[in-house]
Amino acid sequence: MPTEQTELLQGTLDMLILKALALGEMHGLGIARRVEQLTRGTFQVKPGSLFPSLHRMEEQGWLSAFWGESENNRRAKYYRLTRAGERRLENESERWRRISGAITHALQTT
Amino acid sequence: MPVVKHLRSFFRNLLRSRQADADLDQEVRAYVDLLAEEKSQAGASPEQAQRAARMELGGIEQVKEEVRAARAGAALAGFLQDLRYGGRMLRKSPTFTLVAVLTLALGIGVNTAIFGVAEFLLRPLPVTNPEQLLVLASGQHGQPATGRFSYPEYLDLKRQATVFSDMAGYQVDFEGLSTGHHAVQFFMSWVTGNYFNMLGVKPYLGRLFLPSEGQAPGADPYMVLGYSFWKKEFHGDPKVIGSKVVVTGHSITILGVTPPDFHGTFYAFDTQGYLLFSTEAADPQAAAFWSKRDARELTIMGRLRPGGTLAQAQASLDVIAARFTQQYPDGSKSLAIRAYPERRARPQPDPTDQTPLLAAIFVALAALVTLLACLNIANVMLVRATARYREIAVRAALGAGRGRLVRQLLTESTLLAVLGGLAGLALGVGGIRLLSTIPARITQLPFQTEFPLNWTFFAYALAAVLLVATVVGVMPARRGARVDLNSVLHDAGRSVVGSRHRLRDLLVVAQVAGSLVLLIVAGLFTRSLEKVVHGKLGFEPDHLVTFTVDPHEMGYSEDQGRKFFRELLERARALPGVESASLAYSVPFGYYNSSVVLSEIDGYTRLAGQQPPQIGYNSAGTDYFSTMRIPLLHGRDFTEGDTPNSQRVAIINQAMARRFWPGQDAMGKRFKTKIEDGPEQWFQVVGVVANSKYTSVTDNDVPYIYFSLAQNYSAIQALEVRSALPPQIVLNELRQQVRALAPDLPIFYAKSMSAGLEDFNGFFLYRLGAELAAALGILGLVLAVIGVYGVVSYAASQRTHEIGVRMALGASRRDILLSVLRNGLVLIGAGIGLGLVLVMAATRVVTDFLVGVSATDPLTFLAVTSLLALIAVAACYIPARRAMNLDPMAALRYE
Repeated sequence: MPTEQTELLQGTLDMLILKALALGEMHGLGIARRVEQLTRGTFQVKPGSLFPSLHRMEEQGWLSAFWGESENNRRAKYYRLTRAGERRLENESERWRRISGAITHALQTT
Repeated sequence: MPVVKHLRSFFRNLLRSRQADADLDQEVRAYVDLLAEEKSQAGASPEQAQRAARMELGGIEQVKEEVRAARAGAALAGFLQDLRYGGRMLRKSPTFTLVAVLTLALGIGVNTAIFGVAEFLLRPLPVTNPEQLLVLASGQHGQPATGRFSYPEYLDLKRQATVFSDMAGYQVDFEGLSTGHHAVQFFMSWVTGNYFNMLGVKPYLGRLFLPSEGQAPGADPYMVLGYSFWKKEFHGDPKVIGSKVVVTGHSITILGVTPPDFHGTFYAFDTQGYLLFSTEAADPQAAAFWSKRDARELTIMGRLRPGGTLAQAQASLDVIAARFTQQYPDGSKSLAIRAYPERRARPQPDPTDQTPLLAAIFVALAALVTLLACLNIANVMLVRATARYREIAVRAALGAGRGRLVRQLLTESTLLAVLGGLAGLALGVGGIRLLSTIPARITQLPFQTEFPLNWTFFAYALAAVLLVATVVGVMPARRGARVDLNSVLHDAGRSVVGSRHRLRDLLVVAQVAGSLVLLIVAGLFTRSLEKVVHGKLGFEPDHLVTFTVDPHEMGYSEDQGRKFFRELLERARALPGVESASLAYSVPFGYYNSSVVLSEIDGYTRLAGQQPPQIGYNSAGTDYFSTMRIPLLHGRDFTEGDTPNSQRVAIINQAMARRFWPGQDAMGKRFKTKIEDGPEQWFQVVGVVANSKYTSVTDNDVPYIYFSLAQNYSAIQALEVRSALPPQIVLNELRQQVRALAPDLPIFYAKSMSAGLEDFNGFFLYRLGAELAAALGILGLVLAVIGVYGVVSYAASQRTHEIGVRMALGASRRDILLSVLRNGLVLIGAGIGLGLVLVMAATRVVTDFLVGVSATDPLTFLAVTSLLALIAVAACYIPARRAMNLDPMAALRYE
């Protein structure tokens, strides 16, 4: 579904990034690949939406950033969840479950 | 959307340093490298991989721009969130918010109001390049130059002083104006033709004078109207341009109207009309104006050439003055000319003018009040920050950044400051409106009543608000950000750290000291006023009414004028209820204060090099002394026998008799002088009267001369009437008499003498100063009391547990009371000590403004210090008593 890749809702992307980082700290490309993996390739994250999202969440205090080294000894900016970010992920997941459940229910009702 | 773009760049500049930008650049490049690596691992050649990675990224700069936008958006969202949160915190404690906003509003309001007035007094004139304007004053060598210039001198100066690009002369006066329907008196300026041209004032309507006009007697009988006068008297009718009116008996054509913001050059007053000197000096008897070098009537204003300096102007004027002295030894003996910047010569050049200093003192006092208000709120904010350490610690533990927390606390204090600032601005504007109505209530001079508020005022108010926000917010915010998470979270909320108290204690000491300074200055001003008001005037102002008329304004000749005044006096004396009535040139504290120079004095020799004595004078008719109730000590009053043809006589006061003829009988002694433009003559002393006040309430044994009004006719005369009837009734009666004699003659300065004492020359400035200072002092006191009470009661509440333990261990209630009190007393003592040191330094500045009181007046110091101490101790006593009455068991269970 190539069109959906560009129509990814911002809130959804934020949530997926938080989810990806819940498993451990990661650099930008790693996050993008992780999201693809988590969504079984449905969502491909482009740098043009990835970076603004990361920086916005850092500004809001959900992520913290630091410089680290990649597996191949390359310098890269790493991100990790803060406590506020963890709570945010919890709240967002809960909200998502409620909404998606409601929508699924609505669509299945005949 | 340009607005969004501006906002974005604003936040980018505010929040993103260049370093952060470089960091972002590196981050994106690192991403590209990682992507390329991934692709080359998948089998692409390094070049292909790099190119593919770049294409996937879609432009580094574009990505960076989007990141910046996202960050700015998040920062704005964060700010709005802070604002909402701050608003919620303030709503949650409405009492605190109300008190804080009111305190800050008072602090900022007082400050901006006083600044507004000071700014008004020192504001540049609304003319082209006002900083180039200098005012010239003539004088004698070695004496302060405050005098004016003659027309011939003006012409010479204008031609010879090449450092000036132009020079104009003016002279303020009152004249009568008749439109045919009615007559009014108006405040006007006689000007030279180039007056408006030199200033660079453009007409609002019609045209103004031309430099070529007004250069010969009677030439160009034109008039220019002031904007407000045109609105008031001519209802803003543009058709008056070109119409004719009568001024001083001359038929005059109205040329134009000046712009609304131009009020003439006699600062702070509203000049209502302008006429040319050629109209004033049109008659043959005014020939002296055009030719006599010592007929000095003009105030000269000059415009420096671009790049010219005050020093250059002064140097060239010194040369010209020396030349005048050489060329005209008669009229310009030891003449000195001084140049003043226009702003230092308001409304007239006066080297002793201390308006700027007085303005600075009041701005400083107001700043002190604002500072006290800030310290108070800072203190309360500190307490609240302490109480909120747990909340802050929890938020920090949940991952909120330190910077974010500081920003949150600052947003709260800024919110308070802005609310207080808005309320304060409203108060300040109201205060200025109130202050600007005062002159109209006490004087009939047309004061420039509206103080248009300009950007300087609002910039100042904004700066005050920001400063307040910083002082109020930074200390608690810094402390909040330094909170040690572990200690606070483990400490069950009982977070008392010594250093935190020390800062708050320092704030209280500063408050007590500041309010002591305010109160002592206020006390000194008040004592000054008391001395002035209750000082001996030397005449009896009660039951005395006075007004002034100038039949010359109606074109009366001297003979007509003499007849008019004789009939007026007869009618006044015949009125029922009138005890006595008299005429004089001026009354004490009136606007016409003149002096004469005594060139020769019987039995008195001047020391070599000493200037001839200059003595103030009035001209009085018969019964003046009995009407004023000035005691005649020796000799006789003026009588009907003193006529223009009899021996010139004078009555002097005791101070003059003592100065020139100490230990002798002054009666029959003579002195030689000339009055105004009259001939030099010998005058014989025929009477000595008691000393009184003449030009100012601060006069103290000033030598003074009364000439005979019959021998020295004055076109302008004041009538004095003593009657037991209410002043308004007497004045109305007198008005009817004037109307019966001369229907069109305007009456001015009509008032009771005691009301006149409240005028500019009377108590006005002392009363205004004392009341302003007292208001500031009381505000400071209230703020200090709140501060002391707040700190002591908070400290006591923090010690509740300790007090409980002490009581349980057998401490008496008295011990508890004393231990809590001691805390507060130490602070108050330290504050008073510091305040006394500060005030010793401050009083040196105010000493010039005090009358009859020394700047270190022991009574004021003692009374004010004990008052402050008493109130401050009372503020400590209440929380101390509460601590004393604690139930030990309840105290132990506290928390």
